[in-house]
Amino acid sequence: MKVHVGSPAKYRFEDRFLFFIVPLFVLDGILGFWGFHYHHLHPTGALAVLCATVQSSPIIAFIFIVALYLAEEKDEFQKAVLVQSMLWAIGATLAVTTFWGSMEKYSQAPHMDIALAPFLFWAVMIIAIVANRWRYR
Amino acid sequence: MKNRLKVLRAERDWSQGDLAQRLEVSRQSVNAIETGKFDPSLPLAFKLARLFERPIEEIFSDEEQRS
Repeated sequence: MKVHVGSPAKYRFEDRFLFFIVPLFVLDGILGFWGFHYHHLHPTGALAVLCATVQSSPIIAFIFIVALYLAEEKDEFQKAVLVQSMLWAIGATLAVTTFWGSMEKYSQAPHMDIALAPFLFWAVMIIAIVANRWRYR
Repeated sequence: MKNRLKVLRAERDWSQGDLAQRLEVSRQSVNAIETGKFDPSLPLAFKLARLFERPIEEIFSDEEQRS
């Protein structure tokens, strides 16, 4: 008998990641390198808002496709593991950013760019997913 | 919650993967339920009951009730 490897929702998630998120990241990289690093652009007004939107779009789109995956996934255990991992990541991100915010306020710690928060979230998320996979292997 | 999934599976000579395929879930799900690390929802418990042709209480038992 063929062993069930992945759910249709998981395959749809992977397709969305590959054909939607990866090109957005590439566009993001090109804009960052070509525009800001090579040409030293400093856009203002509506163009600055547009650049910020393009720059943050892969992260926002990724959150959206994870939400779609959660809505479409029929395997309740996989869903529970993902939600559990997300709770760890949300908790860790809030704890670190709150602590660092207080450090900036009271201890003159260097400013942390808030745009880094999603990267911290996904880093903890990856660790939590790996830990959960090992726990339920 | 305790369960007799491993025994029922062994009676039919099914692997965890075979059972997962029949339930349309991942093998990890079957393993987590079997080892008591994850309690299935009622719909999944009913699906298991139909698959093994047993009432739910013959497959799952409440640990508190036993003690």
